[in-house]
Amino acid sequence: MMSLFWIVIRQLAEIEAMAASKKVITREEWEKKLNDVKIRKEDMNKLVMNFLVTEGYVDAAEKFQMESGTEPDIDLATITDRMAVKKAVQCGNVEDAIEKVNDLNPEILDTNPQLFFHLQQQRFIELIRNGKVEEALEFAQEELAPRGEENQSFLEELERTVALLAFEDVSNCPVGGLLDISQRLKTASEVNAAILTSQSREKDPKLPSLLKMLLWAQNQLDEKAVYPRINDLSTAMLEDPAV
Amino acid sequence: MPTANTTIPIHGPVDLLTRLDSPDPETKLKALREIKNQIIGNRTKKLSFLKLGAVPAVASILSPYATEADSQLADSDVSTSNIIVQSAAVLGSFACGFDAGVRAVLDAGSFPHLIRLLFNPDEKVVDASARSLRMIYQSKLAPKYEFVQEKNMEFLISLINSECENVTGLGASIITHSCETSAEQRALCDAGVLKKLISLLEGSLSQKNATLESLAAVFKNNPEVISKFVGLENERAVEGSLSPRDSSLESLGTVLKNNPESVSKFVGPESGSALSSIIELTKDRYARTRLLACMCLIVIRNASPNYLQDVGIKAKLVYLLLELLDDPGQVGDEAPFVFSSLVAGKEDLQKLAFEDNAVNKFCNQLQKGQLHPKRLQGILLALADLCSKLEGCRLTFLSLKVLNQVIDALTHDCADVRTSACICLRSVTRSIKNLCAGYFMNEMLVISLIRLLDDPSVSAQVAALGAISNIVVDFTTRKSTFIQCGGIKQLVQLTKSMDSTVRFNALWALKNMMFLADDRCKEGIFLELTGSLLASLICDPEPCVQEQALALVRNLVDGCIKSIEYVFAEDGILLDAVGRQLHNVSDEVGIQGMYLLGNVASGNEFHKEAVMQQLLAQADNGAQSFVIKFLQSSDSRLRTAAVWVIVNLTFPSCPGAFGRLVQLKNAGIISQIRNMVNDSCLDVKLRVRTVITQSMTFGDGLA
Repeated sequence: MMSLFWIVIRQLAEIEAMAASKKVITREEWEKKLNDVKIRKEDMNKLVMNFLVTEGYVDAAEKFQMESGTEPDIDLATITDRMAVKKAVQCGNVEDAIEKVNDLNPEILDTNPQLFFHLQQQRFIELIRNGKVEEALEFAQEELAPRGEENQSFLEELERTVALLAFEDVSNCPVGGLLDISQRLKTASEVNAAILTSQSREKDPKLPSLLKMLLWAQNQLDEKAVYPRINDLSTAMLEDPAV
Repeated sequence: MPTANTTIPIHGPVDLLTRLDSPDPETKLKALREIKNQIIGNRTKKLSFLKLGAVPAVASILSPYATEADSQLADSDVSTSNIIVQSAAVLGSFACGFDAGVRAVLDAGSFPHLIRLLFNPDEKVVDASARSLRMIYQSKLAPKYEFVQEKNMEFLISLINSECENVTGLGASIITHSCETSAEQRALCDAGVLKKLISLLEGSLSQKNATLESLAAVFKNNPEVISKFVGLENERAVEGSLSPRDSSLESLGTVLKNNPESVSKFVGPESGSALSSIIELTKDRYARTRLLACMCLIVIRNASPNYLQDVGIKAKLVYLLLELLDDPGQVGDEAPFVFSSLVAGKEDLQKLAFEDNAVNKFCNQLQKGQLHPKRLQGILLALADLCSKLEGCRLTFLSLKVLNQVIDALTHDCADVRTSACICLRSVTRSIKNLCAGYFMNEMLVISLIRLLDDPSVSAQVAALGAISNIVVDFTTRKSTFIQCGGIKQLVQLTKSMDSTVRFNALWALKNMMFLADDRCKEGIFLELTGSLLASLICDPEPCVQEQALALVRNLVDGCIKSIEYVFAEDGILLDAVGRQLHNVSDEVGIQGMYLLGNVASGNEFHKEAVMQQLLAQADNGAQSFVIKFLQSSDSRLRTAAVWVIVNLTFPSCPGAFGRLVQLKNAGIISQIRNMVNDSCLDVKLRVRTVITQSMTFGDGLA
């Protein structure tokens, strides 16, 4: 795919210099160009490893390491830890997640008030979900209210969250969305990103952004030329242009 | 493994502290962990644990391990190492972004223990200790590390050479915190620290950030170290360019190698070299790294006129910092301060920023309201710098209707915000056009400023005085708002302050108040000030205060003859003080004194004679008259002021002029003036000729 990307870009440059009418590139020509671009296998493997590591597929990363000989640029054990934190939040075990993050690196939550607030918010949501209203009330007073005092920008979110206490049927109230699993996932991915940042790693794998670049480049080329295009990214099949 | 439905019991702080004392290591460890998990990220909890004495309790757990011999620790079991790690983490969290916590940790004596634990064989212990020390070093309260001593320098270098990220980070933080003097900067440079720091710029996120900060500390105001840094990298860049086979490049390299001067001429100070690694980091994907890289570059360009002066980099820095302002967190809070350091006192940069809509961007933020105090302070300071010189910036600022937000900031809870609001107002009120229009004689504004004269913070007082100094200049006759609000009493009160900066600024404001004031206004001020207080201020131990006091009296006696009478109040106490003081003063003070006498000498015969008396009075030690000294001064402004006095005294149509001329001649003053007919300063020359012409009207014999 990387080779394809470069070809598209080069093609774009060539056409830029040529006439305005659309150029037609046949499959043979295109494939020949593709074959001319040499991409090192190791680079491709690194891209795959980067994806597995960032997304937290430890087992797959280990297997891939054995099979391809690609060294991950991070201790795989730290991925396990990160995934355990993520999973804990996803299961609603926020306290457990907080403890794990603090074991991993106590600086993360001490220097990231917004993330800390979101975790506390999630803890409150879980208490409500489990019907522990009194405990939730106490928690809101003891833990959430001081965060709002410390940081004005949390106030709005805080009010929205505490509003959960006001409704009998929380699943059908205006702020019921907070109880959705999507809220857990949002919090979980925020923690995940913070841990990755603390490990000086990109929060997103490189592969998806490369795919985005491919799509962008194809769109640019569409205006100038007719060529075999990749329409389905999952198969990456070159599809003949409709001439 | 706990599920969502069970909660781990939360122990109260008191209970937890008792558990810390438990002889059972498991209980102790659990208590430590629980305290850690309760306080991390939670300021309120930190405070309540702090009040219960948690810090000394944890410190006492740590200390025996730190004092034990390393060999004994080497074979300690897992739980021991765990207890050390958890204790260090607890102390580190107390110290993280919480000055009261830092103080408690230092008071509990943990600092040397944590340092000692850096030599522990257990990597985890080293890591945890280094992290906690790093937290301490992020506070101003951390002890200064005297790395100039040889042993300490070795230790510091061992830190930055470490494999452990937290340890290198600690080394960089120590440099940031403790490198203050140019001798210290040079010592680090000579010890080869720069090279290592450059390589750390390629490290992890936290290493990069810590290194950028430490580099800024090493560079600050030190062009010598900066040129070494640039030279160092230039060499590397040239070596790099030798690797291609190109033979012409190779020969070029031979010419340039080890010759930083020609190298910098050749590559240009920025290209492919030196600063490129830092410049590169301004594009980093992390906002904090971008901010720190900008800060580092600004320190370099402010200290050294040789680097980063081209318009491209200037525009880029302005652009980047304005962009970072949009960051909702700490980076956005700090960006305005870095911006200020870029544009302060530099009109070209202010212009560039103005064209980039900087004023609008900062004002937009102000309009948002509910800003973090730090951000608010920074924005006000940035606006102050932008409006300090350019009228265009001031007009834009005023057109954006944010004056009320600034006035609100005058009563903010935080003293730094109040101070910066005043500084901002001082810059904005430099707009003569708006001052003339009476735009700033707004009651809300004036009342808030007067209230600040009572502020518990001296810097807020001084800043308020600065703003007041400008608004009272008011060229219309509407100084009354300020007087009605009781401002004069307050200002006079502050001229009695123990702090000379406060006295100085209060007098400055009163001096401006006096400028072109009407008789009633002058009288009001003088009654409040009194001749004796003014006389004592003229004799103040601080020359800058003397100068302002004399300038104030100069404005007081300026104008109609009636005003001149003020210096004769209380048996001429003021004029005597001036005469006495002028025998031994700096040029600046002398200038104000002579203009004051010049104004008095423009009055009637009685006034002129009184000035004569002062001029001819011998100094106590019998030294020559101060007028002669001033006429011989190398400062042309002082010579001008001195000749002016003589011009006024010898004005021919006055009855006593001839007599005075004779006296002046006998005192050797006229001959001194004759020697000045070809003075290098045109102003002086002109006045000298006036004196000579005036003396000629009484006949040549006299001259």
